[in-house]
Amino acid sequence: MKRTALMPVLALGLALWQAMPAAAQPAAVGYAQRYAALCAACHGANGRSELPGTPHLAGQPSFYAITQLFLFREGRRENAAMTAVAKTLTDDDLRGFSELIARLPPVAPGAAAAPADASRMLQGQALAQRHLCANCHGADFSGGEQVARLAGQREEYLALTLREFKSGQRIGYTNAMNEALGGIAPEALDTLAYYLARLPAR
Amino acid sequence: MTTRPMRVARWCAGALLLGTTAALAQAPATPPATSPAAPAAQEEPFWAKGRPRTDATAMRMAPVPSFPIPTAVDKLPIAKLKLPPGFRIEPWATGLLDARALREGDKGTVFVSTRFVGSKVYAVVNKGGTREVKTLIDKMQLPTGIETHNGALYVATPKQVLRYDNIESRLDAIGMPVVVYDKLPGDVPHGWKYLRIRDNKLYVPVGAPCNICEPGDSHAQILKMNLDGSGVEVVARGVRNTVGFDFDPKNGELWFTDNGRDWLSEDLPEDELNRVSAAGQHFGFPYCHQGDFTDPEFGWGKSCSNYQKPALLLGPHAAALGMTFYTGSMFPSQYQGAIFIARHGPWNRTSKYADILVAWPDGKGGIAKTEPFLTGLVENNQYLARPVDFLVQKDGSMLVSDDFNGAVYRISYSR
Repeated sequence: MKRTALMPVLALGLALWQAMPAAAQPAAVGYAQRYAALCAACHGANGRSELPGTPHLAGQPSFYAITQLFLFREGRRENAAMTAVAKTLTDDDLRGFSELIARLPPVAPGAAAAPADASRMLQGQALAQRHLCANCHGADFSGGEQVARLAGQREEYLALTLREFKSGQRIGYTNAMNEALGGIAPEALDTLAYYLARLPAR
Repeated sequence: MTTRPMRVARWCAGALLLGTTAALAQAPATPPATSPAAPAAQEEPFWAKGRPRTDATAMRMAPVPSFPIPTAVDKLPIAKLKLPPGFRIEPWATGLLDARALREGDKGTVFVSTRFVGSKVYAVVNKGGTREVKTLIDKMQLPTGIETHNGALYVATPKQVLRYDNIESRLDAIGMPVVVYDKLPGDVPHGWKYLRIRDNKLYVPVGAPCNICEPGDSHAQILKMNLDGSGVEVVARGVRNTVGFDFDPKNGELWFTDNGRDWLSEDLPEDELNRVSAAGQHFGFPYCHQGDFTDPEFGWGKSCSNYQKPALLLGPHAAALGMTFYTGSMFPSQYQGAIFIARHGPWNRTSKYADILVAWPDGKGGIAKTEPFLTGLVENNQYLARPVDFLVQKDGSMLVSDDFNGAVYRISYSR
């Protein structure tokens, strides 16, 4: 769909990757095996995390994934475990893992959970509209390019991340997210997380 | 101060907001950026104001940061780049994440700045035929404006102009900078700088803190000041965001590129090349675009006849960045005094384009003709490379930075 037009950099990376001789390609199976060994214990076998506070990775845009790995490696996003892992990764590894992550099918909201509270979902939707979240994250909150997928993400991870942005503890390249959350009440962050976590993955 | 591979200090929370830096923890502290015009909560980000809501593709267009991994030298798209006959382009230095402005020190060190992806300033040093990249500054907020003068490196952030004296003797320990000026507004939107020094005056732009807004008396200008930060004067007004300017070698007049507003249309307005013929001239923003039409919102009651006309239109959303007058001895004589302009290419336009354009002044303040110089930068509507800034070396060859690939190329000529 629109995704291809949105990702010139990734498409370029892919084109370069395809242009390389087969022997030089970072083998996808290699990264699948390395993902299983290095990432799966926390982030889940298919990028579907079962661990509180640890995000699903499945379906994150490759550009977003590589940007986060880069920021961890540079020490510009705080997380001791992820920085320790990222410091062992080469540039090719960052590309290989982020491309693998983008290919994992996004996670659908847990079917076992209780039915969503309709009024809370409406509140969350209103918050998302008021704070213009879809302007960058997309109308279906699937993200794109350097912007994170939010739909179907773990609720407590979303709540934690929103708090980190709100407090300035987490900063991306710019303070865009810090500014976006500047005028939102702390308790409303939970409602926003509740809503986004229950959106269908597309 | 590290050499590659870089060691990194922890990213302190709030670093970007406060403008403090790890590498320069000893640098004078910067107060929080005060930006009355920055987007408040519940407003769109500055770049999204005016974005059409009727088109799903446009609604997903946003500024794309440089890819966080520099392209390996053997994967640079050199073979796809095209130049006029006799010219040659080759990789000169790689591994320069987010490479933006280029300047050269007296002893031949080439300094390379970055924007927010890099947050660094590099030095490229010639070491017996090989070039070594050193990271001089790390984790500084938008250290994009750089200039060299009398042995010093000047670095401008959105808030401050800093000076590192005797820089080429201190590449392994650059020491504390002198704060030359710290009263810049500090806004992040269009707050990254481009610097030049001419006749002992420092030229510093202050971009509009928005896509389109009433910038007041503090923004959308080019300033000049003494090298100690005193004597600030406004050189040009109505300048939305200039990321490249240079002085005509014939008469010293300031020429600058200016990036036009976004979202009005796919094809309007075009970026501008402007010439300052008298101090304080107004170049139209936000009232008049490309010299010939008034803004649909801010232009009511205004007339384009009251503003300076551009010398040349550079294309819609072209992102015209660095520009330089060529005065080297290597290129054919027809290029003497010609203006090289880096068109970085649009992010908010469906059809992409990027190149290096050459414009020949007509000697009467205008442009006689233009020609594409470096082409082949876009393939299947996707960027292969994106030029930012120029540095004409002593031998007359030209360095070009490319933030998309994190590389600097050298363009040379031989018959």
